Amino acid sequence: MHGSDAAVLESHWGGGAAPFGASWQKTMMWIFIVTDALLFSGLLCGYAFLRKASTVPWPRQAEVFSIPFIALMTFILITSSVFMAIAVTAAKLGDRKKALLNLVLTIVGGAAFLGCQAIEWTHFIHDGARLTHNPWGAPQFSQAFFILTGFHGSHVLSGLVILIVTAIRTAMGKTPPQGVEMAGLYWHFVDLVWVFIFTLFYLL
Amino acid sequence: MSEAAHGKSPYRAYWISWAILLTITVGMLLAERLHLPRLVLVLFLLSFMMVKAVMIGANFMHLRYEKRNLGFMVAAGILVTSLILYVFVSQESAHVLSRTVR
Repeated sequence: MHGSDAAVLESHWGGGAAPFGASWQKTMMWIFIVTDALLFSGLLCGYAFLRKASTVPWPRQAEVFSIPFIALMTFILITSSVFMAIAVTAAKLGDRKKALLNLVLTIVGGAAFLGCQAIEWTHFIHDGARLTHNPWGAPQFSQAFFILTGFHGSHVLSGLVILIVTAIRTAMGKTPPQGVEMAGLYWHFVDLVWVFIFTLFYLL
Repeated sequence: MSEAAHGKSPYRAYWISWAILLTITVGMLLAERLHLPRLVLVLFLLSFMMVKAVMIGANFMHLRYEKRNLGFMVAAGILVTSLILYVFVSQESAHVLSRTVR
């Protein structure tokens, strides 16, 4: 291979400082998101296994949950994602006030979502659902519910902590735009996971 | 050229995406109540679930503005692994069910 050919290959596939045309922070964040997505992929495949291998009929979700309430939770999370996207763009444009306002609105949305999830869990447990028991039929149904929504809820909670820290640091002028962007990527990922849980667990 | 350069609000695209996402969500909820044949419902819901996921990734996570190979790495990594996992899990669950019933 000629030296010039090697140089071309290195320039395209050698990696260098920014193999994806992104900063190392953003690249690392995306790698984290992919691995975390695979965790949820494993959980959802486990859910598919439990459901398909169940000898007891799977409960009809609409008879167990209030689907309009779950739709409200989806609305809250999607709306908070818009506020987050606006905060990221505002931070990039140097509009710190707008970025902070939208970060706060995102936090409010996230807290409201967690509150709704707490209400849903309380009702579910009050109706007699446990990890090993489900009054509507297959016990795997409540196991899948607690594990899927529990893991997702813990991600929402950690996302809220990240957002609160980011908002405080933004108010103090200590967070660069990229910091808001990283928090935003994580928050949108949490929203993305909910799209799958909402469809696969609550609707199908 | 960016939207800002065209004199439009740079945030407009997010609100358009929001409206589309909510419309799709309402459509999915209505479809669930329509008593469609199971296969049609499953295909409808899975298709629009993927549309929502792509919209969030492309518009909110800005993958449409990133280099194409970043989007490819993310999508291929998640989709291919998930499909392999699902295919094996699916076969195994059918096997477990047949043994349990027997």
